Amino acid sequence: MTVSSNKEAFLNTIAAKLGRERKTNVQRPIIQDLIPDSYGELTNDDLVEILKEQCFFIHTQVIESNPEILQRTLNDLIEANGGGLVMTSGDPRFAEYGLEFPDAAVWEEAAGREENVRRAESANTAIIFADCALAESGTVVVESRPDQGRSLHFLPAHYIAVIERQRLVLRSTQAAAAFNRRIQAGEPVGSSINFISGPSNSADIEMKLVVGVHGPLRATYVLI
Amino acid sequence: MSLQTDKRNFSERTTEGLGDSFMRTAVGSAQDSLKTRRLSAATALGDWEQWRNVGQLIRQHTLQNLDYYLEQLADNVERQGGHIYFAATKEEASSYIRDVVVSKQAKKVVKSKSMVTEEIELNHVLIEAGCELIETDLGEYILQMDDWDPPSHIVAPALHKDRRQIRRVFSEKLGYTGDETPENLAGFARTVLRQKFLEAEVGITGCNFAIANLGAINLVTNEGNGDLTAAIPKTHIAVMGMERIVPTLEEMEVLDNLLCRSAVGQKLTSYITVLGPSAAGETDGPEEFHLVVVDNGRSDILGSEFNEALQCIRCGACLNVCPIYRHIGGHAYGSIYPGPIGAVITPLLGGYDDYKELPFASSLCGACTDVCPVKIPLHEQLIMHRQNIVGQRRTGAADRLQMKAASRLLSSPALFGRTLRIAHSASRLMSKQGRIVRGPALIHGWIHARDLKQPVKQQDSFRAWMEKRKGGSEQ
Repeated sequence: MTVSSNKEAFLNTIAAKLGRERKTNVQRPIIQDLIPDSYGELTNDDLVEILKEQCFFIHTQVIESNPEILQRTLNDLIEANGGGLVMTSGDPRFAEYGLEFPDAAVWEEAAGREENVRRAESANTAIIFADCALAESGTVVVESRPDQGRSLHFLPAHYIAVIERQRLVLRSTQAAAAFNRRIQAGEPVGSSINFISGPSNSADIEMKLVVGVHGPLRATYVLI
Repeated sequence: MSLQTDKRNFSERTTEGLGDSFMRTAVGSAQDSLKTRRLSAATALGDWEQWRNVGQLIRQHTLQNLDYYLEQLADNVERQGGHIYFAATKEEASSYIRDVVVSKQAKKVVKSKSMVTEEIELNHVLIEAGCELIETDLGEYILQMDDWDPPSHIVAPALHKDRRQIRRVFSEKLGYTGDETPENLAGFARTVLRQKFLEAEVGITGCNFAIANLGAINLVTNEGNGDLTAAIPKTHIAVMGMERIVPTLEEMEVLDNLLCRSAVGQKLTSYITVLGPSAAGETDGPEEFHLVVVDNGRSDILGSEFNEALQCIRCGACLNVCPIYRHIGGHAYGSIYPGPIGAVITPLLGGYDDYKELPFASSLCGACTDVCPVKIPLHEQLIMHRQNIVGQRRTGAADRLQMKAASRLLSSPALFGRTLRIAHSASRLMSKQGRIVRGPALIHGWIHARDLKQPVKQQDSFRAWMEKRKGGSEQ
């Protein structure tokens, strides 16, 4: 297989069309200061309210819970989804909060590709912990890791994301800046960074919104 | 499918569009709903104009330094074990992808919506190579099942079809027996396509933006099909137009906000993903990742008078406000890129020979320019095209003659005055009951749909009336 064999010619053409030599150093414009801030100072409670309001528009249920009753909240949700197989990520926070789901499948490196995908496909409910959440757009942010595959967020019929309140930020601006700081510092990031805002949907038929197309049919956020 | 979706001439295509009352109603109501949603999402962001300025700044900066950012992207993709291929032509792009698919001995390919893969005729090439290729975006899947009916909108490709037509396609091609509610039709497609995802050996996606300093691509979807395409198959091939790149996630974030709000009026779509080759220990995602960067005529636009057209982020907002698109529909453009942006870039990518009419399919009202989230001066670019087309004498001889006569007439006050004096009697033979009903080809487009009043007699004209009342002597 040819690997970037024609890169030089391709990039030289671009430089020629731009009427200059190839560039080897570029200073990117600072855009963070140019982005308007229409919110001002916000407390964590404000962020929760903004999140709840947005989730109403994106067909996502928000349940306020706390670490003491989290297990029960999740059990109730699993039951409301009609039971069936549960699959969780291997996130250490499940153990930290003392959560246990008998018979649940767990996404794990040792299981390998086929088995993890098979489990996710047969799961009725996926439960994950958000790495971060965005109030304005009703978004949970998750990274792929050995204990949390990409398809875990898409194959199960129902999707439950547990959001720790202190991980709420206002919007994608803050999340993108945080990721970029890590990237520029040379820290590894997941090979897939997912910004998930509610269940999958489509308006491809007569512009009528259908909730639940390829990904989950229903999404629920549990705030603790 | 290639850039060209219809070989008939422009007038045949528009006549068909104008006569399709279902399509016109569908496009009209889609435009109204998308326009309103865009407006409220833009307002909710606060200071939309400043966001547009930032969007324009990012796109212009990236284009001015495109070689630098593409090189950075290539280094970072390869650092993670991915492959990057630079294709100067559409043939190079599609043959490279075919070679990858063949080398994997893959027969089953799933695709998520990508305009650039249409442009490079990838589906055709892979089907020729013996692959079962499935478009997984619901709209695109409907079109594929309907014998590859061309898309008519950048964002909502099956906009021109109603539920009854879709039900008929599913029932004839897939044995669907359910009713025509969108929920059931979509549910059926979900079941069929889920199996295709699980079986696929290669997944092919487009790329909303590549992120140079990460060596990854950004996908913006609502259905989640793009993510499944990049999660399950062992090989992922992403295809991008060479201009679709940002320096970092910070610029991507601004453009994604502009894109989602402009395209569908959402703050963010359901799934915004940044992905590349699978990392060590991750068990799904691609073991092999290829990114194909396509020029195919774009470098000729770079640095030209049409440079700003490359700022496009494919949101489709200009289609949703265009009065011409509303009436003739997407198919009439004869290009996979319809609407105002299509009328600008199709002649650039496909040449004036086939597309010289498109820049004239505009009222020059400028609504497209007003909504463009990255401030492409669309209607001004259409005028530049018109100047080129006229300058190259590509309009018909009769048109040129009439325009020459009109120009003589309108640039000489004396001649214009003399003509006005005889206009009434000279137009008598062309008129019926005070309306002009026939005349030179130049006015056919107007009198076909509207009344053109016969000029009044010289003594009844406004100028004569004014003359008589000079000085306010007569009330």
